[in-house]
Amino acid sequence: MNYQARLANTMATTAHTLLEVRGLRTQFQTGSGIVTAVDGVSFTIERGERVAVVGESGSGKSAMAMSILRLLAHPGKVVGGQVLLEGRDINALSESQLNKVRGRQVGTVFQDPMSSLDPVMRVSKQMVEPMMRNLGIKRDEARAEAIKWLGKVGIPEPERRIDAYPFEMSGGMRQRVMIAMALSSRPQLVIADEPTTALDVTIQAQIVEVLKNLTSEAGAAMLFITHDLGLVARFAHKVAVMYAGRIVEFGRVEDIFARPCHPYTQSLLGTIPGTTMGKHERLPQISGLPPDMRKPILGCAFKDRCAGVHERCHAEAPALSDRGIEHDAACWLPKGLDSVAMLAPERSARAVVESAGTDKVIVELNALRKQFSTSKRMVVNAVNGVNLRVHRGETLGIVGESGCGKSTVARLLLGLEKPTSGDIYISGLAQMVFQDPASSFNPKMTIGAIVEEPLVVKRQGNRTERSAKVRELIEQVGLDPSHADRYPHQLSGGQRQRVAVARALALDPSVVVADEPTSALDVSVRAQIINLLVDLKQELGIGFVFISHDLLTVRYISDRIAVMYLGEVVEYGAAEEIFANPKHPYTRALIEAVPVPDPAIEARRINVPLQGELPSPLNLPIGCAFASRCPMATDLCRSTKPQLPNHDRARQVACHHAT
Amino acid sequence: MADLSLSSVPAASASFREALGAPFRSGALFHGKVRIALLLLVPILLLTVFAPLLPIQKPLETNLRAMMELPSIQHPFGTDKMGRDILSRTLAGVQISMLVGASVAAIALVSGMVLGTLAGFYGGKVDRVIMTIVDIFLAFPSLLLAIGLVSVMGTGLIPVILAISLADVPRFIRLQRSQVLSLRSRAFIDAARTVDASQFWLMSRHIVPNTLAPMLVAASIAAANAILIEASLSFLGLGIMPPSPSLGNIVRDGQMYLEQAWWISTLPGVVILLITIGLHFLSDGVRELLDPRARR
Repeated sequence: MNYQARLANTMATTAHTLLEVRGLRTQFQTGSGIVTAVDGVSFTIERGERVAVVGESGSGKSAMAMSILRLLAHPGKVVGGQVLLEGRDINALSESQLNKVRGRQVGTVFQDPMSSLDPVMRVSKQMVEPMMRNLGIKRDEARAEAIKWLGKVGIPEPERRIDAYPFEMSGGMRQRVMIAMALSSRPQLVIADEPTTALDVTIQAQIVEVLKNLTSEAGAAMLFITHDLGLVARFAHKVAVMYAGRIVEFGRVEDIFARPCHPYTQSLLGTIPGTTMGKHERLPQISGLPPDMRKPILGCAFKDRCAGVHERCHAEAPALSDRGIEHDAACWLPKGLDSVAMLAPERSARAVVESAGTDKVIVELNALRKQFSTSKRMVVNAVNGVNLRVHRGETLGIVGESGCGKSTVARLLLGLEKPTSGDIYISGLAQMVFQDPASSFNPKMTIGAIVEEPLVVKRQGNRTERSAKVRELIEQVGLDPSHADRYPHQLSGGQRQRVAVARALALDPSVVVADEPTSALDVSVRAQIINLLVDLKQELGIGFVFISHDLLTVRYISDRIAVMYLGEVVEYGAAEEIFANPKHPYTRALIEAVPVPDPAIEARRINVPLQGELPSPLNLPIGCAFASRCPMATDLCRSTKPQLPNHDRARQVACHHAT
Repeated sequence: MADLSLSSVPAASASFREALGAPFRSGALFHGKVRIALLLLVPILLLTVFAPLLPIQKPLETNLRAMMELPSIQHPFGTDKMGRDILSRTLAGVQISMLVGASVAAIALVSGMVLGTLAGFYGGKVDRVIMTIVDIFLAFPSLLLAIGLVSVMGTGLIPVILAISLADVPRFIRLQRSQVLSLRSRAFIDAARTVDASQFWLMSRHIVPNTLAPMLVAASIAAANAILIEASLSFLGLGIMPPSPSLGNIVRDGQMYLEQAWWISTLPGVVILLITIGLHFLSDGVRELLDPRARR
């Protein structure tokens, strides 16, 4: 029986069904037309079940979640369908009835905890009053209960921290407060919209564990929206894959990951560099862009990007149909694509120069330090004695949590900041690819002018030579030369990042520094940019410094990796070696915190996330900087700082306990 | 299916506008507020420009046989106690108003952008010196400051323009500085710095073009204010001196005869009102066109 038919048969909600969504449609009335963000979505959530919704930005996953509680802001409107919570239609409730459902029956956790907490109200006030209302208890009881919940979500000293203001807490702490607030009224359903996207991997691992344990303890169901397939594997029971406002595949997490049946799901899973993938393999990528949601979509929405497209896809949109036990997909092909190889015909192994760089050193950092003084007495040690080398044709990956100083190293390398002490040697020129392609271009300049700017500033060539060079650069990064006349806002995020690469290459640099070049991009586009960077490195033989918190990408792209913690390099070595055999306890914790897109591996893992957060860089400890969070810390670690032995290319670990 | 046909309509009209070229693509002429502003300002401007061709008396010509006459075909705005034609005087006044508005806006725009950019871009001592002076000027209400300056510099067209500009420039410096501060930390400035672009290059290529739009909006508001302040100064006898007509001194002349001849003060007053409303609608419309968030 297919999914739609099964839905129709369960008109009388079964005892286990908590939430049932039928044919939900949501539209946004914008100046340039009506955007149908959610286009007929149907699914059910059983009691205590964790359902993940995955999709790219613009796929309608957040609009769908917001529609369930009618939390959409002005131009958005639910135009059709039913949302049945325990058999009660939410769309038929009045605003005041709905307010009783929100918060009491359904708790919500949003992406940005700073904007979801009231900045001028103490945490206690924000927690206690809703609890008094929702649970019908007195102020003292509610306060005691709130403290209990703050303790459960892992906030140290909850009795004291409950009277703090949100700005006195870190991002991870605020997100914990949000979770405590959502769970404190003992809801039956928790809707979490990208609750860990703004957080570091180690904090993300902690938050995910807290959410998982507490919801299963309270028997609450969960609707979890994310774009991170690794998290889904770690966390969810069932997965709904959304594309262009519709669910294209729905099923149990094991089935989706082991036997994906929709080409989109298959491609998404293929684009993530696995833990074992070698550099000679090119990442499969999804070409093209998602459809314009303002226009009516004829046939299957994915047809323009699908490798298995045929005539029927252009005429008719497939509905969800049965692919196994509780597994449905919306595709005319019974098993989707035959193999992921169909995704990229040119995927053939690239010719790898496996030498991983020559002996010529192009970048050398010696005892580099950078201090920022925030006031007369306070000094932040952003970079605290870093020695690194990059050889020609080599990619150095720098990983670490936010605040570890990796971006400051990049800025020092490019001369955007002056070092406090130590020296930087660069043979040739260093250029940069910035994180956010939206703000790294002057909006008033055309793409051609942006790429040409370095040549103009350096007075290279005359006008015709420069425009020829610009065309060549734009073609080199895989764009059409006609893009030169457009403005940045007319390009997609991925295209903009290609332009950023073209500009960085304009002056023939010897090293290109890329600071989180893919973190603002969608999964499907990310693979395109990573492939481009790897290809260019092979082709031009230049050095790369790749800074990211995405460990799987860093492993795939880098020859050598430096792990940074509080302004210091704690481990350095060849990428494969570091991942296969991490020696520093911090490196180990980082690698363990990364969710792997494979439910089987995730299920076998015993997740004991790294406790605590990054200490303040204002007053660094005398001993090992990591001692406060390290499970192996001894008195030696707290009193003596382990030094990084200064060998050139060998493996280096700054730990007393590393063997 | 109904929604499918609905959504295709705006898409089609959008491509239609795309084909018509820049002013139509941005929708400037279709914008409601801009249209109201143009309906108010364009006729007044045309009349002012073509005033010498109109079959009316010259502004300074007296006609003692037609003193304080009601509005008629011959004198559409009536005449004053010396038999001068009010319409003709009003149009000459508008000419002066427009001149004052335009020069004040231009002076404030240019000096505000130069000093504001320097203060915001260099920071430190430059910023502190410029901003201290700005703060001192900002402590006075602009009309009061203008009155004070005119009483020092004397009356007449040039002193009036200078006095009003001096009161407006600090506001422009402040606005420009705050824009520069937020642009200075944007990544495209860093991107240009990594290729060793000079500071002049950064300011002229990256900072100033991105601050222009809000400054132009501010300039059109400043023009409207300058027109009002000039009228106020002339009304108080501190601006344009009679017999040269200015909207302010025509209103002042008629004020004494308000009960016998209401038209002398009232009609030029209405013209001041229309011009100011027009300029404010224009700046509002331009602001909304330039800021996609204000459009709905």
